[in-house]
Parts: sequence; C-alpha cells; structure tokens
Amino acid sequence: MRDLCGNAVDAALGAGASYADARAVLRRSQSVATKNGNVEGVSDQETEGIGVRVLVDGSWGFAGAGTLTDESAREAALRACVFARAAGGGDRRQAPLAPQTGSFETAVEIDPLSISLDEKIDFCLEAERGLARPEVKVAEAFLHAQREHKVLVSSDSVDVEQEHVECGAGIDATAVGDGTTQIRSYPSAYGGLTAQAGWEYVLGLRLADEAPRVGEQAAALLTAPECPAGVMDVVIDAEQLALQLHESVGHPTELDRVLGFEAAYAGTSFLHPEDLGSLRYGSEDMNVIADPTTPSGLGTFGFDDEGVPAEPQAIVREGVLVGWMGSREVGFAGSMRADGWARMPLVRMTNLHLEPGDATLEELIAGVERGVYLETNKSWSIDDKRLNFQFGTQVAWEIADGKLGRMLRDATYTGITPQFWGSMDAVGNSDAWRLHGFTNCGKGQPGQSAHVSHGTPPARFRGVQIGVRV
Amino acid sequence: MSALEVAGHALACAAEAADQAEASVHSARSGFARFAGSTQHQPTLVDDTVVTVRAVRDGRVGVAVTNRTSDAGLRDVAARAADAADRVRADPDFAGLPEPAAAPSLDGYDEETAALGPDEQARFAATAIAASGNTPAYGFFTSGVTELAIVSTTGVEVSQRVTDATVVVLAAAEGCSGYATQTSSAVAGVDVEACAREAGEKAARTSGAQEADPGDYRAVLEPYALAELLSYFAWDSFGALGLLEERSYLAGRIGERVFDEKVSIADDGLDERGLPKAFDFEGVPKQRVQLVEDGIACGVVWDRRAAKRAGGDARTTGHAPPLTLQAHGPAAFALSMAGGEAESTDELVAAVEDGIYLTRVHYLGIVQPREGVLTGMTRDGTFRIRDGRIAEPLVNLRFTVAVPTMLRDVPALTRSVTLVNQADFYGDRYPFGVLAPGIATAHFNITGGGSTPGI
Repeated sequence: MRDLCGNAVDAALGAGASYADARAVLRRSQSVATKNGNVEGVSDQETEGIGVRVLVDGSWGFAGAGTLTDESAREAALRACVFARAAGGGDRRQAPLAPQTGSFETAVEIDPLSISLDEKIDFCLEAERGLARPEVKVAEAFLHAQREHKVLVSSDSVDVEQEHVECGAGIDATAVGDGTTQIRSYPSAYGGLTAQAGWEYVLGLRLADEAPRVGEQAAALLTAPECPAGVMDVVIDAEQLALQLHESVGHPTELDRVLGFEAAYAGTSFLHPEDLGSLRYGSEDMNVIADPTTPSGLGTFGFDDEGVPAEPQAIVREGVLVGWMGSREVGFAGSMRADGWARMPLVRMTNLHLEPGDATLEELIAGVERGVYLETNKSWSIDDKRLNFQFGTQVAWEIADGKLGRMLRDATYTGITPQFWGSMDAVGNSDAWRLHGFTNCGKGQPGQSAHVSHGTPPARFRGVQIGVRV
Repeated sequence: MSALEVAGHALACAAEAADQAEASVHSARSGFARFAGSTQHQPTLVDDTVVTVRAVRDGRVGVAVTNRTSDAGLRDVAARAADAADRVRADPDFAGLPEPAAAPSLDGYDEETAALGPDEQARFAATAIAASGNTPAYGFFTSGVTELAIVSTTGVEVSQRVTDATVVVLAAAEGCSGYATQTSSAVAGVDVEACAREAGEKAARTSGAQEADPGDYRAVLEPYALAELLSYFAWDSFGALGLLEERSYLAGRIGERVFDEKVSIADDGLDERGLPKAFDFEGVPKQRVQLVEDGIACGVVWDRRAAKRAGGDARTTGHAPPLTLQAHGPAAFALSMAGGEAESTDELVAAVEDGIYLTRVHYLGIVQPREGVLTGMTRDGTFRIRDGRIAEPLVNLRFTVAVPTMLRDVPALTRSVTLVNQADFYGDRYPFGVLAPGIATAHFNITGGGSTPGI
C-alpha cells in the first residue's frame, strides 16, 4: 500500500501538482441487528481503494478508485489533476508540515472481528430478551464492529500507517399503546454506544443487565404525563449533553464552516474568525477541548488525514472561544478526516469534550426548585448557523424542591446557543463524565459520515424553554 | 466488464457453495464539482463497483459485500456469504429468493450525461458561479452513471443503467441568501444558468430580514421545502414495516381521510419525470403505489420480507432496500405528489393572503413519528405574505409541525410539479428524488426565530 501511495503521489507531481497526498484504505465492518427474537439483519462488508488529493495551480482535485493496483492509483492521480486544472486557478495552499513518519494502532484486547457472527447474534438475542413487555412492540439489539487500515503518503514527506478498530452495541424498546409510541434506549439512542476499542468494550456495556429497566421505562412512558411547557431550570444527562455539545459547539467551531465551505449543505457558523479570544460562548463553568488523543475516542488517531500529528486543542476556556478545529489550508491544523478512500478529507470534529466540574448528579438536581431532568436524545435540529436548536429527549423526570419526581414523556427544549451555554451554572464531576461515540455525523457533498466522540458530564442550565405546542 | 457480467461471475462463485444464491452489483462513476465563495474548492471523482452476495444454505441466509471484483475477491465474498449463512439462524421472514419477473423497460439513461467528465462538470460549476450574479455562489454540479445488476440461481437476471445530473446553488452574502436546485436523469434537463439566476434573484430579496412571532400561520411551501418534509414523513409512515410495527402515522388509518382531498401521493419509480428505476434491490419489478388518494390513506410500499411477515394478501410492491439496510424495511424512494390547479406560486400566495413563504427547510428532526411531527428551520428565502403578496423577508424560523395537520387543509397546489433531488450522496450513489408541487397550507406552526439569512 505504501508503494502504491508513493507511486500515485509521484504520478500527480509528474502531472503538474504542486502538492499531492494519497490514502489507501482497507475497511472491514460487520453489523448484526436482532428484533423480537429474530435476526433482522447481518452485514459483513469490506471495501478497499485509494484516494488521491492534489493541488494544481492553487486548486484542489480529488479522485478515488475502488481498486488497489498501480494502474488505478496512477489513473486516480491523473484524474485528480485533470479535475483540479478544470476547476480553475485558485490560491489554495497547504501550510508547511515537518516530515512525519509513524504508526498508530487502537489498543484492543479482543479483536471484535475475531468474534464469530453466531456469537454476535447470540449476544444480541440475549441482550434484547429482557426488554420484553406486553407493551413493547419492538425489542431490538444491534452491534457494530469495524477495522480500518490506512496508509497516507504525501509529497511533503508524510508517510504514516494507522489501524483503527471500533465496536459498539445497544438496545431499543419501542412501546405502542393507544395511538402513541414511545422509545427507550440503552446505553445511547441511534444504535447504541460505539468506541475505538475491542470486543471487551461491548461486553462491558452489560446490555442484558439493563434491558429490564429499559423495557419497563418504555412501557411506563405510554401512560406518563406529557412534559409541561414553560421556562424552567433543567439538568441534562451526559448523553444528551454530548449531542448538544456536538451540534452547538462542535460544528460551529469547525473553521471550514466559519469560512463558508459548507454553506450550501451543512451550513455555516454564527462565529467569525475575529471572535477568537473574545467571544463569550458560555458561562465561566464552560471548558471545551478537542482531543484526538483520548483513549477509546472515535476521533482518536496518531495523525489526521493530511499527516498532522494528534494534539489537543482548547476550544472554549472559562466560557471564552479560544480555538478552532481546522486544517493545513485554513489554519488550526489537525482535524482533517475522510470517510474512507472515496472521499476528500474535510475538517471534522475529533473528540470534543466538556470538561468536568465538581458537582455530583444529586447536587445538580438538588439545586433545582422546579424543573426537569432530561435523559437520552430522541430528536434534534439546529439552524444552519448553529444558533437556534431544538432537542427532544426520550424521557424527562420532574424535579421539585431539589428532588426527582415522576416520569414525563415527550419533552423538548429549545434555545439559542450562546445564551444557553451562558445559563450553565454547574457541571458534573469527573465521576459522572462519560465518553459517547457517534457514528452518524454528516457533512460534505458528496456526503460523508464521521465517527466522533464526546466526553460530557451532566450539567445544570437555568431558565430554559421547555416544550413546544404543535 | 459490465455490472451484469461481474454479477454473473460472482453468482458462479456463490452457487458452488449454496443451495440458492444471488449476486447484485452496484457500480457508479461520478464527479462532483463543489464550490464555495464562487470558487471550486472540493472537486471529487469516484469510481467504484460494489458486489453483494446472498447465499442460502439449509434455509439460512448469509450476506457479504465487497468491492474487490477480481476472481479472488469474488470467490472470497462468496465464501464469506456462505460462511455467514452457516452461522446465522433461520429468518422466519425470509420469503425465499424471488422468481424472475419481467422488469419494465424505462428511460433513465442519457448518453450525453454519461459522457460528462471532470472538464464538463467543472464547466457547469463555473456557469453556475457566473450566473448567480453579484452574490457569491455555493453549491455543486454533479453527474454520474449508476448501474445496478442482479442475478440469482432462481433465474433473476436484470440490470439497469441510469444517469443523473444535479445542480445546487446557494447565492449568499452577509444578511442575504437564496437557494435553487434542479435535477434530472439527463443533463439537458438541468438549466444551470436558470437555477443560479433563481438563487441569485431570491438572495437579493432577503436582505433586511425581520423577526416573526411564533404562532400558527398559513403558509406557502415551494417544492424544495415540501419535498424534504414529505421525505422525512415517509421514512416512518409510508413503509410497510412502520405499519406492521404500529410506528407509522398510517397505522390504523388506511381507508380513512387523513389529508385534504386535494392531496394525492404515490410512490412511483416508473415515472419518467423522476429518476426512474425498473426494479428494487432484489430484482423485483417496481410498481406504482398509491399512498394517499384524494386525501384518503390507501396503502404503503412493501418488500417480500415485510409481506411474508404480514401474511394474508400482502405482496411486494418492488420496494426492497439494499440487503445491508434490510432492517429498515421497504422504503418509498420515488415519492410523487399530484399537482393542483394553481398556475404559479404567486397564486398560492394570493390564496394564503396572510402568512409565511418558505423556500427551503433545514435539518429536520422527527419529534413524534407516530403523529408525523417534525421540527426544522427555514432558510434561504423566507418571507412574510401580506395582502396576498410576498412582503418583507424574514429571519430563519423554527417550525414544529405535524405533517398531517399541514396537509389536512390545503387551499391550493401548483399544477406543475418539480423533481427535487433527495440524495445527499452518502455511500454508494443511488440517485432519487421527490416530484413535488408548491402548496399552500392553512397550518404551519412557527415556534421560534433564529439567525439571519446568509453567511
């Protein structure tokens, strides 16, 4: 693969490129889904190919070929150069990077792809069994495992090899009754929780142990009262806060969005380059860091997809914007990743964390006279500049006089990003801090799905708008 | 080698170790000339062929996927599928491999489009940039050739080559933005200049956007906005699995009046005004399925697996998804809403008299699938309607609407329908879109305000 990449880079330089990089990728993935005691889907996929990115006369070009041969690699390089030339002269350039060589491998105890499909199926069937209740119409379990091996070679002396292994699992219970449906998930919505880790991670999720509670809560939601609307104090659990962080801090601090690269699709940002160092993003309790070195993070690597070594970057410090996630082209290099060989690297979140405070969950709740505790995402939406958001959660719990009360259904909350983060007055401590892996972060045209992680504790917010009438 | 030939080789490998086998090949060659700030910044060419093998052994089904099309690669994927079949349990919903059936002959392939290469794709992008006027342009031009071939030991042997071309233009500067898009199976059906002009002219009208109070408004939705809302609603409500699992809005409502009598919706992969498909991912011929007729819920789309689960008279309608997405159930990928009597969106505006005008919606979220409640933001052309005319531009608005409520009182629809691309081109290229008219609705629930238009 290294020779193949080197030859592609040479071919691009020979065709007039001032810069070129070539990434050869082999990806193998397996997924299993079971539903109501039956196998719903089993997938065993592999893909391999090479993506060549070039700069010609100041314009980018990229071509991906789904075969790993010298001929296809060279052809991809030449096609990328043709596209760059056709795109017209530009003034794009790569910031210099010291030569990089090295490798990275996920720390794994048990290779998840060494676990047989039948064992995986048994695991899922066992996990969903405890969800069963008369009201639970759909009991589901799913797991996912993936290994990606990639080599990156560039014309400015990057030569790195990495192997990332990830796996995850989860369960969902969908209860149906009287014309309504309610869902409850564990340990996370939308396919469970995934990490860069071995099979031991999946076993540690203890899905079967949690299933009875999950099924029970799904059934109970059918008759729970609707979450009341109004402005009130909220405590948000670590999982929902991970998505809140992703959408309202992660995406707006991607520097390519700030510069308009994503305007037509994912959108831009309410932030401007000159906001760095002065814009108040949130309260003084808000500290956010992008850290591609976090153990088990889905955004963890040795080098990003343009060869920049992994290094933490502070994004928000004591509520003030202090950093971006970027690239060698736009600045703040170190966050470029591509979804496989067939896509151009884009600025993507790595592992973006809300750093812990010093409160326990009980203390967060104790500080609320009247409000709700929100758990597990159910819906999400945010505007193209990442200002106005609305989230729904699977379950809410009434808080009265500092104590958790009855279960509530159909909770939503809405807000404006800096005001919302400005209302955060207490953050959970490191014991409550959890790493949440998402595998469905969409961006780019053609679309790319990134795998990212967020470490978050629960936190408390004052005066949040709860509930929307339809 | 054609997709059909690759599929034949894969099947030969798979048949050796299986009681029954099926090979499907999905190949795509495409170019994306993406631009931002009126310069082309992310040009992307992709060439790939993906082979999926389904092996049946002792009634158990194994599936494996590869993009290695060498002899070794095909032997390997066949062996992995057979091994998977040995390891899984029998699927009670497996209906056996389909028997051959004549697929309709459809027009969906255009030589001129297929011949487009990076030079032409970049040229179309440059045309869009130039035609958007003084406002910087963001978006892309893309074209591609996709071929799907499916063969099986039961005698299925089908293939279809299709082309598609799409242009998206967002004309945007500080405080203003306008959006337009066109898509077609033939590049001659895409007027890049007109699309860019539409975006530029729309942008010019959005400066000085005002706030709007939350509330239930009458509204006009352009086809771009309606297509997106319909697609999200369809995800849970127009497939058989959602119906069987009672997650769908249509569960328990088939035969009932659910929408305004002016609303008729079908899924029609055979409609050559769209991006026509002859068969589904099992090689079963596509059928036109009436989902809603004159406001009455008629049915949903089926695949063979869901039909087996339902039993009785349920039959496939040719809507099987790719095998790797089987768990999601049959999907309506060719939605088509019938037009009405209005000759233009201006007539819709006149019918609304007082309300909101939406060009496009952004980042939809499904709040309550059973009730069809969605939330999202408007963007790139939101206006107030006053006295039957488009009045001042508005900031981006948050809405939370029950689609059934929105479609229950529809004063008017445009006669013409527009094909709106709905593929964001994730994964393997499979172009699809929605044929949508512009509509006027008596109920569109605005729940908040957000950012101003533009960059």
